[in-house]
Amino acid sequence: MNLIPDVEVHRPRSLEEALKFMELPDSKPIAGGTDLIIDLREGACEARNLVDLTQVKELDYIRETDGRIRIGAMTHHSDLVASDLIKSKAPVLSEAADLVGSIQIRNLGTVGGNICNASPGADTATPLLVLGAEATISSAEGNRTIPLSEFFTGPKRTSLNPGELLTELSFPTPPAGSGGAFQKLGRRKGCTLSLLNIAAYVELDGDTCSKARVAVGACAPTPVRIKDVEEMLKGKKIDDAVIGEASSACYGLVQPSQRAHSRASEEYRRDMSCVLMRRALTTALERARRNK
Amino acid sequence: MKVSFQLNGQDIEVEAPGNRALLDLLRDDLGVKSVKKGCENGECGACTVLLDGAPVTSCLVLVPQVEGKTVTTVDGLEDDPFMVKLRQAFLEDGAIQCGFCTPGMLISSYTLLRENPDPTEDEIKIAIEGNICRCTGFTKIIAAIGDAAERMTDE
Repeated sequence: MNLIPDVEVHRPRSLEEALKFMELPDSKPIAGGTDLIIDLREGACEARNLVDLTQVKELDYIRETDGRIRIGAMTHHSDLVASDLIKSKAPVLSEAADLVGSIQIRNLGTVGGNICNASPGADTATPLLVLGAEATISSAEGNRTIPLSEFFTGPKRTSLNPGELLTELSFPTPPAGSGGAFQKLGRRKGCTLSLLNIAAYVELDGDTCSKARVAVGACAPTPVRIKDVEEMLKGKKIDDAVIGEASSACYGLVQPSQRAHSRASEEYRRDMSCVLMRRALTTALERARRNK
Repeated sequence: MKVSFQLNGQDIEVEAPGNRALLDLLRDDLGVKSVKKGCENGECGACTVLLDGAPVTSCLVLVPQVEGKTVTTVDGLEDDPFMVKLRQAFLEDGAIQCGFCTPGMLISSYTLLRENPDPTEDEIKIAIEGNICRCTGFTKIIAAIGDAAERMTDE
């Protein structure tokens, strides 16, 4: 039996209250606890003041304003899955959220928690990266907004300063002629961590790809874009040959861990990155064409 | 700290330390033994309960986090028509061996049938992906859930 250490739990009802509690020493926010409770039980988290965000309703929203889709950090994965807005305008994100853990985990876990836990294999990270997402961070001193790519600094490490809370993730509403897709590889089909995941996003101008963003998870210290693959797609008429070339290139471009005890061998991840990229690009392209 | 919530339809107030998991409160403080302790990591689903009607793994929920919410276990669904059909199907179809996964399986499949009265086999598998059974190999559980769905629509 693994005991949760002796922590104080503070229950703010507003963001302002939450930020005051975050000023306490060794503070850490808790949302669904699907990563944090495990870390606490294993002694991997030294926090002693938990700031429970369950009652901070102002952080739980999905909305579209001024051409941007804005998602509050306390939005549960199950709500992303059910959201008509996300399913219709950014299915790459809803289908990723639908693959996080199990139904129980999706009902507890939040997109903010997934991003702040910053596993290199975080399922919602790669979709948000290819959607061009920004992260809004608040503290008692004020707010700042940074590209999501600058949020991740290493395995399970972020650029959050002590006392700061991630409050919102936002991205431009994908336009007509755009399409995105997500692919995940795990040890099994359900309730599994990502051995590898890929998100792809393209924008078509007629038949030509005007924008391409692809990102890979669990193949680097953080979720990352693969710029070299993006360059192979931009300005081209994307057909099976172009997709094939871009997918094969992944083999040498991804940087999976070489540690002997990691979840999958380096070789396997390299091989499968090509397969998942091909599937993701094919689906993204189909969606872009249907979405004109 | 004092926490007020509703358990199986009854308003209750408990006094518990902040670091108490809902699972331990239910089993050890409130005597609700139907909720089982398996992995304590949210992976096995043996501790699954409904929190505001949604299945969650209670090993990951801290007691303070249920303030003002409803918690439901199989004990609170005994007479529910969907649960009656599910229990009957589980018993008749041989979907129970040691019984340890059963309460969690019932909660997950109950939720499925409430939302989707005619699930496909794939939809059933997704509904129980967070519940592990070490005895049955899942086949009879999946069949039982399908049978329960059929019997509900037959009525």
